[in-house]
Amino acid sequence: MLELDSLVHRFGEEPAVDGVSLDIPDGEFLVLCGANGSGKTTLVRHLNALETADEGQVLVNGVDAAENPVVARTTVGMTFQDPRDQFVAATVGADVAFGPENLGLAHEEIDTRIEESLGAVGLEGRETDRIESLSGGEQERLAIAGALAMRPDHLVLDEPFTGLDAPAREAVLARLRELHTAGTGIIVVTHDLRDLVGSVDRVVCLSNGRVVVDAAPEEAVEQLPEFGVRVPASLSE
Amino acid sequence: MVGSVPGETLAHRLDPRTKLAAQVAFAAAAFANTTPGGLALLTPVALLFLGAARLSPLAVVWAYRFVLPFLAAAVLIEGVTLGPPWLTPAEAVPSLLASYRILLVVVVGAVYVRTTPARESRAAIQRLIPGKPGRMLGAGVGLVFRFLPLLRRELAAVRDAVKARLGDENPVQERMRVVAASGLRRAFARTDRLALAMQARCFSWNATLPKLRFGRLDWVGLAVTVALVVYALA
Repeated sequence: MLELDSLVHRFGEEPAVDGVSLDIPDGEFLVLCGANGSGKTTLVRHLNALETADEGQVLVNGVDAAENPVVARTTVGMTFQDPRDQFVAATVGADVAFGPENLGLAHEEIDTRIEESLGAVGLEGRETDRIESLSGGEQERLAIAGALAMRPDHLVLDEPFTGLDAPAREAVLARLRELHTAGTGIIVVTHDLRDLVGSVDRVVCLSNGRVVVDAAPEEAVEQLPEFGVRVPASLSE
Repeated sequence: MVGSVPGETLAHRLDPRTKLAAQVAFAAAAFANTTPGGLALLTPVALLFLGAARLSPLAVVWAYRFVLPFLAAAVLIEGVTLGPPWLTPAEAVPSLLASYRILLVVVVGAVYVRTTPARESRAAIQRLIPGKPGRMLGAGVGLVFRFLPLLRRELAAVRDAVKARLGDENPVQERMRVVAASGLRRAFARTDRLALAMQARCFSWNATLPKLRFGRLDWVGLAVTVALVVYALA
């Protein structure tokens, strides 16, 4: 369970996240949406203890993320907006191994996790491929594999569909659905709900750092366009 | 060329510790033997190293061409005078030999960089240097090897962006200013992003290191290393 309690994050005097309280149960498929600059990315970075709150706190399974970042980072896997920002190695296998190696796991366990994570995103057998040789969609899936290798309870994806064509988007989404079915909580940060409405459990929309919508997707889609979020045309009419 | 590429060449199959030792031994031999004869002897050895990684000498020199102006400058500074006779080739010879020696060391270093993943370099250093210094140095070297290809890509992106808007029509000085300023800015931003990515995946000084195996081929590498050390000390 992830609990955000009155979280405030300021850049200078301006609050990017302004008193957000949110509970995210395990296994939930949640979309965090909002227009550019609404505070989505800043908010999710707190889940991974990559930011320090000015006020409030984030609890990951009851543990304060700021005090125990390792718990936060093993419980919440994160992929960045541009997957290329996430890669720290030259080859697929070495990159996926990076997290488990940092956890100090045994070699056999690391190998198992590489195989398992690459299998989960449809990149099995590609361990020795250069990351540069992968397509955009494959790089996005590799970023997911890198996060999955930490065996997180929740996976946070920051704008995972940006720059992907329709087949690549569908491939990534299919993997996310499978992971969700297998019990992993998914949090997708986006400003475009068109691909996601049928798959998610809950939609949370931010505007100026505050939660303005928190509802099931069917209810949420009516309110989202006024906050700069794209929804499927058939649902917005 | 400034990053590792997976492969099955002889150099790829060597233990990184062997490659590190051979590299250091080669550098020692090159610095100890600066005569034309000594460097002439080391040239085929450097070519052997390149052959073991199936690398073309020209491709390596091209990839590291940014070193060449500095090497050439050293020779010019020694060989050119500010008055008659303007050129003193005899005085430039030691610099020429020193520059050539550095070029050979760079070429051998390229073989290591090309054939050794960052995590294996880290493992090799941590196993060669025990304790905290080894961990710090290993992680540091691993970071450098991770960061260099990223930095190169950032600079290439800046150059492309400049060209795309006809920046290459500007005088060299202006182009250099733009590329240097934007490149530096992007390098810092890239450093932040890399640090964040490593943080997000629990970067640790005590990470599990990849297994290293000292095989039969490494004995050959070790023999070459010993020969180079003997040559350096002779």
